[in-house]
Amino acid sequence: MSEPSIKDEAKLRFSEPLLAIEKKLIIWSLSVGVVSLVLLAALSRYIPS
Amino acid sequence: MSEATIFLNVERPGTLTEDWSSVLVGLLVFVLALLGLAGVDLLGWAATTSVWVDPTQALGPVSKTYSYLGGASALVATFLALLTTLSLAVWATGGDLKRFVLAFTVVFAIAYASWFVGSYAHFAAVTPADLSKFGISWSLKLTNEGGFIFALLAGLIIANFFPRFAEWLREAIRPELYIKIAIVILGGFIAATAAGKLNLASSVLLRGVAAIIEAYLIYWAVVYFVARKYFGFTREWAAPLASGISICGVAASISTGGAIRARPQVAVLVSSLVVIFAVVEVLILPFLAQTFLSHEPLVAAAWLGLAVKTDGAAVAAGGITESLLLAQAASEGVKYEPGWILATTTTVKVFIDVFIGVWSFVLAYIWTNHINAEETNKAKLGEIWERFPKFILGFILTFSIVLALALGGGLTQKLAPAIAEANTFRVIFFILTFFSIGVLSNFRKLWEEGLARLAAVYVVSLFGFVIWVGLAISWVFFAGVKPPLAG
Repeated sequence: MSEPSIKDEAKLRFSEPLLAIEKKLIIWSLSVGVVSLVLLAALSRYIPS
Repeated sequence: MSEATIFLNVERPGTLTEDWSSVLVGLLVFVLALLGLAGVDLLGWAATTSVWVDPTQALGPVSKTYSYLGGASALVATFLALLTTLSLAVWATGGDLKRFVLAFTVVFAIAYASWFVGSYAHFAAVTPADLSKFGISWSLKLTNEGGFIFALLAGLIIANFFPRFAEWLREAIRPELYIKIAIVILGGFIAATAAGKLNLASSVLLRGVAAIIEAYLIYWAVVYFVARKYFGFTREWAAPLASGISICGVAASISTGGAIRARPQVAVLVSSLVVIFAVVEVLILPFLAQTFLSHEPLVAAAWLGLAVKTDGAAVAAGGITESLLLAQAASEGVKYEPGWILATTTTVKVFIDVFIGVWSFVLAYIWTNHINAEETNKAKLGEIWERFPKFILGFILTFSIVLALALGGGLTQKLAPAIAEANTFRVIFFILTFFSIGVLSNFRKLWEEGLARLAAVYVVSLFGFVIWVGLAISWVFFAGVKPPLAG
């Protein structure tokens, strides 16, 4: 197995464009995350501390 | 990558994983401590260090039952007990027993000496009453947990100026093992703390859920996007890097690397970067928390759990922050019950850890079915368990047992001294963790190996938004939630 090195692999920079599935993962992840946080923040007002 | 750069102890074929051995050692300490409930004091000989001006008064056994031993004998007994137990654990995981025994002897000596030095009154005394008690006029007010910082600095000096010595110590440089044992023990301590204020404990637990969402869904997505879009990293590098920065450092980057079928060295290289940045964070964030968040101690606690990567650095940073904030509050006449700040940081971190397996499975599914569809080794549900950090089970077990004993058995009063004895070992494991993290951090070597671009993503992500978004979310969920007052 080849030993990866950042220096050697620098030439691979931007060699893999973002695929649709990656964009979908990022967008879904962020959307679900933000919506869940807003809901939890609202819910936390009812949690006694 | 040179082996001298970072000594991540990749497990060799053995009968036990490091994860399981940490559970066994942690449970051993916990069970021996609990025997105190039956009147059998089996751990009272453990050495503890108090703040001192006269070095002969610094050390002593934790329990009065063993006061006849004196400090030196207690320290020797503690060393021998740890050496024996950890040697067995290392042997069971396939480690080199002879090298471990020699290296651990030196590691223990330096780490404990760091705690001893850190407990010197000019470093550790905090309140005016302390200064008066020790007859001194000034102190750095680091508390006696400042020993953690001294241990970290000792490790950093060795890693960066004596690399051959660091290499020699390698077999005993096991920060993951030490912190996992500490976290198993910590489960009982946190339950004992929580038992007295169940409402507050439940509130901390529920608010801790926000941390999971933030780490996995928000941090990960943003770091991955930044690494891919603006720094041009390939998927093989970007995914472990995103997990390392956003979830839980070493464990998450290794787990993600395995999930997306990356070459193992990618995760190891990313992990080495995570450790370096964790060191920087530990040296800075607790003091920032003391300066800016002293009136919101649980915001500070949650923030550290979210911002500091690697279990060891995060939980131990929570310990330092607790000492600093309690001392600051005490100097202002407010005396908080100890344990809550550390408990909150640990809860946040453990919550995040629990889902490493699930997140790895999600990534494995996407990678093997959509990105590398030709991959024959498809994601399997069993990977969730395979990648689950098993030491969490030890934490849950000790937490549940102590909570049941305190609530069901009404043993809260009797539990305190037993848990205090276990806690003495927890602090020693923290010190060992700090020293080990320092020894892993050879800054110059990492730079030579061309990690600048990886480091750039880390700097942009960590200081650009991880720290600030973590602070904002900690504020939203924990502002106004205060630890109970002592007494």
